[in-house]
Amino acid sequence: MRRYICLTITIIAIILFSGLDAEAQTNGWEDLFFRANQSFKEGHYQDAIDGYEQLAQTGHENGHIYYNLGNGYFRLNQLGQAILNYERARILIPRDADLNFNLRHARDQIQDAIAEPQGFIQMAFFWLDSLSLQEVFWGFGILNVLFWGILLIRLFHRSEWNYYLSLVFLVLWLIGGTSFGLKWYQVWTDGRAVILKKEVNILSGPDIQDTVLFKLHEGTIVHHERSEDGWFLIRLPDKKRGWVEAEAVEQIKRDLTVLPGGRHN
Amino acid sequence: MTLKLDRPEATLLDSITMVVSVSGTRKSDTQPTLKGLEAFNVRTGGTSSRIEIINGKVNAGVDYTYALQPKKTGTFTIGPAEVKVKGKTIKSNAETLTIVKSIQSPDVDRGPLFLSAALSPKQIFVEEQAIYTLKLFRQTRVGDISLGLPEAEHLTFKQLGKPVEYQSVYKGQSYQVLEVRYALISSREGIYGIRPSRMSMTVFQSRRKSSRSLFDDPFFSFSSGRPVTIASEPLELNVLPLPQKGRPTGFSGLVGNYKIKSHLEPSKIRAGESATMTVLLSGRGYVKRIPDLKLPELEKIKVYADQPVLKEEIDSKGLAGSKTMKWALVPEKEGEYQIPSLSISFFDTTGKQYRVIKSPVLSLSVLPVEKAQVSVSQDVIKGHKTDGPGKHEVKELGHDILPVHTSIKDLHSGTRSGIGGLVLWLNLIIPFFAYAATFLIQKFHRKTTVSVAAARARKAAKALTQQCRKGELSSNDLTSSIRRYLNERFDLSLGSLTPDEAADIVVSRGVSATTAERLRTALQELEDAIYTGKGQETCDMGGDIPKLIKQIEKEIR
Repeated sequence: MRRYICLTITIIAIILFSGLDAEAQTNGWEDLFFRANQSFKEGHYQDAIDGYEQLAQTGHENGHIYYNLGNGYFRLNQLGQAILNYERARILIPRDADLNFNLRHARDQIQDAIAEPQGFIQMAFFWLDSLSLQEVFWGFGILNVLFWGILLIRLFHRSEWNYYLSLVFLVLWLIGGTSFGLKWYQVWTDGRAVILKKEVNILSGPDIQDTVLFKLHEGTIVHHERSEDGWFLIRLPDKKRGWVEAEAVEQIKRDLTVLPGGRHN
Repeated sequence: MTLKLDRPEATLLDSITMVVSVSGTRKSDTQPTLKGLEAFNVRTGGTSSRIEIINGKVNAGVDYTYALQPKKTGTFTIGPAEVKVKGKTIKSNAETLTIVKSIQSPDVDRGPLFLSAALSPKQIFVEEQAIYTLKLFRQTRVGDISLGLPEAEHLTFKQLGKPVEYQSVYKGQSYQVLEVRYALISSREGIYGIRPSRMSMTVFQSRRKSSRSLFDDPFFSFSSGRPVTIASEPLELNVLPLPQKGRPTGFSGLVGNYKIKSHLEPSKIRAGESATMTVLLSGRGYVKRIPDLKLPELEKIKVYADQPVLKEEIDSKGLAGSKTMKWALVPEKEGEYQIPSLSISFFDTTGKQYRVIKSPVLSLSVLPVEKAQVSVSQDVIKGHKTDGPGKHEVKELGHDILPVHTSIKDLHSGTRSGIGGLVLWLNLIIPFFAYAATFLIQKFHRKTTVSVAAARARKAAKALTQQCRKGELSSNDLTSSIRRYLNERFDLSLGSLTPDEAADIVVSRGVSATTAERLRTALQELEDAIYTGKGQETCDMGGDIPKLIKQIEKEIR
């Protein structure tokens, strides 16, 4: 009996202390967030960036943190880094009005005029661009419950209304499922990367001696195809391709694309 | 270099702590020389040097601490202090210290622990602040102090700074004093009885060992605490209404002592550009009452008001603060403009009269717009004029990003994983499995019901055959057995059964008309026997019935 009491007390103590620890940690990163905000307010943009980066790297990745990082880099005139972080934020908070305003403002300052073509899927599933993977997943989850729920009701009570309702839910369930699949694929295969240097040469091969095919400027978004010995093979929407030094470009996909099951890409 | 006193007012028997801080150096060439200390006994409390690192910048400093013991009552200006650093003489600010008579009454001995309250002044105007001072005199060690302030309608207490601790003397005995000051503001006139403040604490009574030993130290002393609550004396505050005489029109109710400053930045611009006019109202009093000033309509200048910024400051003398109001002025045409002064009235508690303060008239020089800008402006007017008279498309004056997100709730939204994980996957899987399980259970249940009925039917035929083979069955028994067989075989619940009904039932279940007729005839014979009074007699049909049932069973299958 005494053993059980001791065991119970130990378990309660562990739960309590682990809770306190979690709270203490929470306060820790909240303090860091406030300090970074204060640094930004006082014009110490590099300190603010360091604070936000520390938050992002310690597992507190958050659309708003990336947005603030983007603002910090913008203030330091690092347009590439600013757009990179705004795009990272957009994966997580795609409908944030401030973010979209600042991203548009930052994009206006890019020197290269590259238009992103709209495919059939982007047009047909136009809502995917303004929803995060989490939101699509939640939406599909709700439709899933409704669809199987109405089928379940039909097992016990068959009537006209639940027949038509089940048809409606079937259509919505299919759309939701397809949206989720497409969004998952989009996030999984996101190969976008941002040019970070003021001007870079795009070469015909992964060697500095290779022919310069064209030049790109800071902030331009390219598609990364593959990497080789510190070089990235990149592609533009108009099918131009070439090699660029890896340090001049950074992929937007960090490990933001943690899937709802907690798995990383 | 700064000079600070721990409080602005003290009694003759108190000690006051004064700190002279020199920043930017860790030592001075000379000790500070202090002016205005003729009415005090001064005791040095030591020197401490400090180094602070803020944002990578190193700040060094040295603090000189003094304990002042007043010799007489009055108001004294202490300072400025002077010190030589690297051959250069620097001066501090000066502070005012008021020394009043001791509050003690000579007849009452209040023991080793008591709470004293004082109010200064005891008569104020509405919205003026009085200082409510609480002093805890103690000779024993106390802890866990909590304070309950008196509550009264229309009275507001605001704590002024942190509590101060010092030594004092009461009735010839030395006490440690903890002093807390509050600003007391009343929103309505009247005589207010301020009930006693209550202070609860734990009083520790030392139970040290009698002989001195290694452990005869406060750290090792054994003390026991008992909870004690003490109360201060009640006080009375007379709040006078603001006088009607001399009250300016549009008086906002502001009470205190204020000053106004204004400036225009830049004072020379081009037409279409903006200049910022800033008005700063600062002073001592309840600054929340400062109204937002309104800049009148200006001819040929568009005025955009910014959100005013209120800054409240609380020091040992009471409430103070400032309100900063800004306007963006965009002149449409070149020329010399006069920005009129702004005024505000308040009741001056020092002079006990209403005062009106005004900002100076400011000048704005506006140069003509540059040519390129003129053409853009014309384009806007010609090309982008929207519907309706006098409407134009909003012209962008600048481009910039929006500010960072600073709300703490931002940290909890837009995260990468959200709830995620198992919960979401279960959300997808569970509804399907719930449906599938229910479907299968329902199907199994139906199948079971059918097989139970079939088994029961088979059993019914067998039971009837066995009963007939026993022999010596009466017509009543045989009729009941056939009815039971039909009920169980076809899952019926009939209480009585005519021969025609029985024939119809078996025909509806696939039995041929001949066999049904045989059943009808047999039942008719049994019925005849019952109705002719031979129901209890042994019937000779016991051998035919099993064959008939066998035939029915065969045909049903």
